[in-house]
Amino acid sequence: MFPNFRLSMTWLHTWFGLVLGYVLIVVFFFGTLSVFDREFDRWAIPQTRFAPQPIPSFDAMLRPIFDHMAPEPADLEALRRRSGGTLPKLTPVEWTAYTTHRDPVLSLYTEYAVGNDADKPDEEIYAHATIDPRDGRQLAGDPLKIGSEFFYPMHIGLHLTWMGVGYWIVGLSALAMLCALVSGVVIHRRLFREFFTLRPRKHVQRSTLDLHNLTGVAALPFHFFFALTGLTIFAGIYFPVSETMLKPQAQAALVAQAAERGLPAKAAGVTAPLASVDAMVAEAQRRWAARGMPGDVGMVEVQHVGDRNSVVAVYRAGSDRVALLGQAIHFEGTTGRVLHEEPPATVVTGINDFLTGLHLQQFDHWLLRWFYVVGGLAGCACIVTGFLFFVEKRKRQHAKVGLGGARWADAFAVATVTGMLGATLAMLVANRLLPDELVGRNEWEQRVFWGAWLVALLHAAWRSAPIRLGKASPAWHEQCVGVAVLALAAVLLDAVTTGDHLLKTLAQPYWPVAGVDLALLVVAACAASVAVKHRRRKRAARLALRHA
Amino acid sequence: MIIAPAHTPSSSARRRLAIVSRVVAALGGGWVFAWGFVMLALALGRRAGLSYADAQTLAWLLVFPVYATAVCGSFAASSGARVWAVLVGGGLAMTGAGWWLMRVGA
Repeated sequence: MFPNFRLSMTWLHTWFGLVLGYVLIVVFFFGTLSVFDREFDRWAIPQTRFAPQPIPSFDAMLRPIFDHMAPEPADLEALRRRSGGTLPKLTPVEWTAYTTHRDPVLSLYTEYAVGNDADKPDEEIYAHATIDPRDGRQLAGDPLKIGSEFFYPMHIGLHLTWMGVGYWIVGLSALAMLCALVSGVVIHRRLFREFFTLRPRKHVQRSTLDLHNLTGVAALPFHFFFALTGLTIFAGIYFPVSETMLKPQAQAALVAQAAERGLPAKAAGVTAPLASVDAMVAEAQRRWAARGMPGDVGMVEVQHVGDRNSVVAVYRAGSDRVALLGQAIHFEGTTGRVLHEEPPATVVTGINDFLTGLHLQQFDHWLLRWFYVVGGLAGCACIVTGFLFFVEKRKRQHAKVGLGGARWADAFAVATVTGMLGATLAMLVANRLLPDELVGRNEWEQRVFWGAWLVALLHAAWRSAPIRLGKASPAWHEQCVGVAVLALAAVLLDAVTTGDHLLKTLAQPYWPVAGVDLALLVVAACAASVAVKHRRRKRAARLALRHA
Repeated sequence: MIIAPAHTPSSSARRRLAIVSRVVAALGGGWVFAWGFVMLALALGRRAGLSYADAQTLAWLLVFPVYATAVCGSFAASSGARVWAVLVGGGLAMTGAGWWLMRVGA
């Protein structure tokens, strides 16, 4: 089909890169923002702007909250419809409290068994609450955690929840990223020399390609690592062998593992009270201390709630190592007796925990956190310059033969670069402008995001007509103006509506808000300088034309 | 994209079909191949004495480089029919072998 290997790789790189690049840049951008998801949460929910807290007393504070938790009305309604009109009995089967070293608020989850659990083992429903661990009060008005509940789900699944299709699209684009890296290395035979080549003053097409190579090659290990581990983290979705072909074997292995650890595999079906969980947490901390480890609790989990076979698992927080939560100690729920202390991980599990932890970075290392942002932005730059190179290379030729391909490629590039940035900023602005008492404020913030993105796409499509004549689209710098205005507005609105202006947050210092504000100012400055530069160049071109 | 000289309409339609077939083979056939790889690697891991969880994790750690290689190889190969045969045939064969090993070994 292709005359040689290099041309086949060029085809793969060009077309997979272009088509899935539009998804990939969304994944890279929101992945980059997710590095600071908790900080965006603080910015978006001013009532949670206080220091991170340890997990509070389970017996005194969390237990009563768990007892009164209930699923969202919308989820209950959906379940009622699925079950044919009547709501089946819901029994809580698992309670979870989870926090990290960056969380002032505590997330609580309850999982319920639906009806007779044996009949519908696959049906599940959850309840979720976020509390202030200092007083146990729930956050009022279900505010949207923009970082961890909007940016992060966007990164992993594009908010396309129907049949989990978002995970598949993101997975496909991650696979395309791996292929683009391999084929990119093949295409650019003089990789080492190109790495040191940047000709910013040359022709646009040449300098875009230089920047594409530089950002792609300099961060090659970073891109490769994140695309690959992103796929392995969700491998269970893409290759669910243990839920299908090997289900009996997988279930048998789980039962055998539980027996080996002395843990009950199933509920006994007999109700029994829960002993003091605080005492179990204290015992877990004593055991960690004996092994010379810090004792911050990251997660407390109660399995088989209310049953004679209930188990309480206490996990150590992952702040001081790359792997996530771990070193769990499992207790018998009814007595508080230790059932199982997790041994050191096996080699395979250890490698997987390390890779997963390195991707999800819940550990305490701010410098590395910033490196992730730099790497993520390098990935974005690499994808954008790929788009630009595609358009620059073709637009004159397309103009000659009357093809519209380059125009649409450029319009989608504008929408997924400046448009996506603008939509994100519009969401932050909406977060500060919408009244607190607005019903469904949470959903309105999301609607503003999608609406603004749609407007950006329409604007880009409308303004990209000059591409058909082989010229540049004005949509790029027009949207840059919008981005600069919105970024500046977000900083000002935060200062006005919360009083946490930069002078105050920098003096304290309160980095979650100061950091987001500073980043917004940098975005505003960059976007403004692009717009100004563009205008200057246009004026110079017009002058040159007049004097010619 | 290669610009070949003097395309007749029928040859360009044939080329387009070949490209579509190659893309579907690379992604869909590649997925079948990768599924087979997971099944076989898991079964072999079990046979080598790994726990079920470890054997599955190891298969998942290895499968995506295999999948990406299959996709790249699909475009590098000269014959489209062979790409389909190797990916789907190989995938089914590995799935069968893995399944059989897990049944017998279980």
